[in-house]
Amino acid sequence: MADAGTADGPVLDVRIWRGTEKGAFVRYEVPARANQTVLDVVTWVQRHREPDLAYRFACRVGVCGSCAMTVNGRPRWTCRTHVKRLPAHRPLVLEPLRNLPRIRDLVCDLEPFFARWERAGGRFVPTATRRDPLPRIAPDSTARRAVDAGIECINCAVCHAACDVLAWRPEYLGPAPLNRAWTLVNDIRHGAREEVLDRTSGDAGCHACHSQASCSEFCPVGLAPTAAIAGLKRASLWRLLGGSRA
Amino acid sequence: MRVERLDTDMLVLGAGGAGLFAALHARRAAPEFEVTVVVKGLLGKCGCTRMVQGGYNVALAPGDSVERHFMDTIVGGKWLPRQDLAWRLVEGAVERVHELENELGCFFDRRPDGTLDFKAFAGQSFDRTVHKGDLTGIEIINRLMEQVRAAGVCRLEEHRAVALLPAADGSGIAGVLLIDMREGVYRLVRARAVLLATGGGPTMYRYHTPSGDKSCDGMAMALRAGLPLRDMEMVQFHPTGLLAGPETRMTGTVLEEGLRGAGGHLLNGAGERFMLAWDPAGERATRDVVARAIYAEMRAGRTSPMGGVFLEMAHLGPEEVARRFPGMVRRCADCGFDLAGGRVEVVPTAHYMMGGVEFEPDGRTAIPGLFAAGEDCGGVHGANRLGGNGVANSTVFGGIAGDSMAAFLEREGGALRDPDPAALEAAIARCERPFGRPAGDLGELRERLWRVMWEEVGIIRNATGLARAADELARLAADLRDLGLAGGGRRFNLTWHNWLDLDSLLTVSRVIARAALAREDSRGAHYREDFPDSGDPAASRFTRLRLVGEEISVETVPVEFSILRPGESLIEEEAGAPPAAEAT
Repeated sequence: MADAGTADGPVLDVRIWRGTEKGAFVRYEVPARANQTVLDVVTWVQRHREPDLAYRFACRVGVCGSCAMTVNGRPRWTCRTHVKRLPAHRPLVLEPLRNLPRIRDLVCDLEPFFARWERAGGRFVPTATRRDPLPRIAPDSTARRAVDAGIECINCAVCHAACDVLAWRPEYLGPAPLNRAWTLVNDIRHGAREEVLDRTSGDAGCHACHSQASCSEFCPVGLAPTAAIAGLKRASLWRLLGGSRA
Repeated sequence: MRVERLDTDMLVLGAGGAGLFAALHARRAAPEFEVTVVVKGLLGKCGCTRMVQGGYNVALAPGDSVERHFMDTIVGGKWLPRQDLAWRLVEGAVERVHELENELGCFFDRRPDGTLDFKAFAGQSFDRTVHKGDLTGIEIINRLMEQVRAAGVCRLEEHRAVALLPAADGSGIAGVLLIDMREGVYRLVRARAVLLATGGGPTMYRYHTPSGDKSCDGMAMALRAGLPLRDMEMVQFHPTGLLAGPETRMTGTVLEEGLRGAGGHLLNGAGERFMLAWDPAGERATRDVVARAIYAEMRAGRTSPMGGVFLEMAHLGPEEVARRFPGMVRRCADCGFDLAGGRVEVVPTAHYMMGGVEFEPDGRTAIPGLFAAGEDCGGVHGANRLGGNGVANSTVFGGIAGDSMAAFLEREGGALRDPDPAALEAAIARCERPFGRPAGDLGELRERLWRVMWEEVGIIRNATGLARAADELARLAADLRDLGLAGGGRRFNLTWHNWLDLDSLLTVSRVIARAALAREDSRGAHYREDFPDSGDPAASRFTRLRLVGEEISVETVPVEFSILRPGESLIEEEAGAPPAAEAT
């Protein structure tokens, strides 16, 4: 383990993965601050120690989902993970997200994640045009509530990294694409609801999920992909039995 | 230097509301042509549209009308908007919201009876802001991203545009020089038509709200390409940004308007309310008034420990605050602050640029083949943008620009042209400049830029300060030119991109300071303590700025009141007419 510099005052002991699939952790001492997120720690290292440290972020406030990393073994959004909330007196260990190809240092290629989103049918198919009036839809209808429960996904891929099924079955669609699929199955305006069930009912779809619920445990915005996947399982079974959609 | 070349038909720079709508419309209008989107981050995951909280202004509520929306936009913009653009905005918003819902799959909040819910926003005479909770931008960009990915659009992600290249024969735009940020190589993309839709984002101020990728690259490229920009002195400050101290990216992020609207108190360092001395509406006064009042407290030294003021909600009942503002309370809690029960330090924060490239209602610019849309453009909002008109602006004009580019190719063919070799060489030389020079302190330079823009070109301005700013900005530009990077790697080298960000920001900052000096009145977002009067609206002029070599030229141009003159109204009845008061 290389050591890349020290700083004065109270410091954090930080280990950051440098490299791609091959690489090593490098240790840094980062000044501790009263208000400091994990993203701030990474930024400090880039600004003061490693000008070419690769990491990704955009919005800083938890809406874009660009800055997710593995923090002490757990996938997290780093812009809203306060250092104080992590166990003290232990090194802060930062790695890229699991289950995705690595580009460099803390950056992953998210393309396999978005390709699954598409494969799961994650795109609205219209049944009306801009010339039609907006539909009247009661916000408290059962179907609309099912959509609302899952619609605020920020596609950060934290659930993808948390999923143990994906770790050993790379063809699995994964939690976020299935969660989006379930919102479309429940969207009464969507023109391809059966197709979404077709796409998500195969071996690599909802039935591959073992309900370990890591996705729901780690989702930073509190969604429950596990519940969405359970909904898809029910709907696809209903269909097999010749019934209507659940 | 390695330059990889590729050709496309329509090249879209930017992937926010403007860029993605343009790509979609261009693809649908002319499927025989290829569309390529360039984005500095990942498609759908960076930029400012995604960060929209409030919502989207559209005249759809019973009793509302596009005329009313137009009047609010003009009055709110202090009679400075280009009226045909403002009209196109309010009319286009109606179609775009239907398109977003019916064709792209967005779903905006409904009332219990299933009809659209309209939120009240400051400075508007009608409740007309449609929204998806307080995360409207995520809904819009996620649905757009899905459609664009499925539409067969080529993507160049983590690519940064660095120069608009003119054709060697001077006939128009030839293409754009990009840096592939992952690979660290240059890509020269020739295109028949190009859209500038990179967004604005005033991140040259110490406190700012936009996404971290924003650095005014689009406006800087437009200036270097010789295009005129207008209204650049008009920078909107949001009154309540989170103040969390130095060296944290949390600082400057927005605490929403609704907190003041609900009855939140602003307290100075001594714990005293101060807003009632400024405006009878107190904390509920408009953005510009509240931002100026907070800034005045700060200048007088009556600050909270970190140099701002306090926002206090607790008197409304911590549980009630947590119920009404769950997102804000959670965000503050994640950052270590108790918004519901304690006091949170806040500071005004630079939010939006009303100014930008001059463009036509169909998206054309002064360069043949180059179109522009969104926050890169000026003229829609005038001196002040209404909350909820920002996302309307980007999506309405993005879609229009996409249609226009397709029509341009169908009509004129838009030949692929070779770029001017001297322009290409100069652009590469500018980007290569920091390599091989002794490494300097980029952070110190950024702090100096933040300080001078905040203190001299910020919320309260005067001639002396603006002159000082011009000197300091010139020094900073010279210092940046001499400042090198440690190490020579170009692959995913964020520090190289920080250098390029500063280059763009400095170019645009100089233009903001120059425009602010030229406007000798106080209007909307622009306040001159040496010229506090707002001037006669009927004699309104707007600023027009150009980069000529390294010099900035400025002229003031009379506003053309093409639809109506100050004092006139499109609304006959008194009731519901736009407020005469300041609008934000």
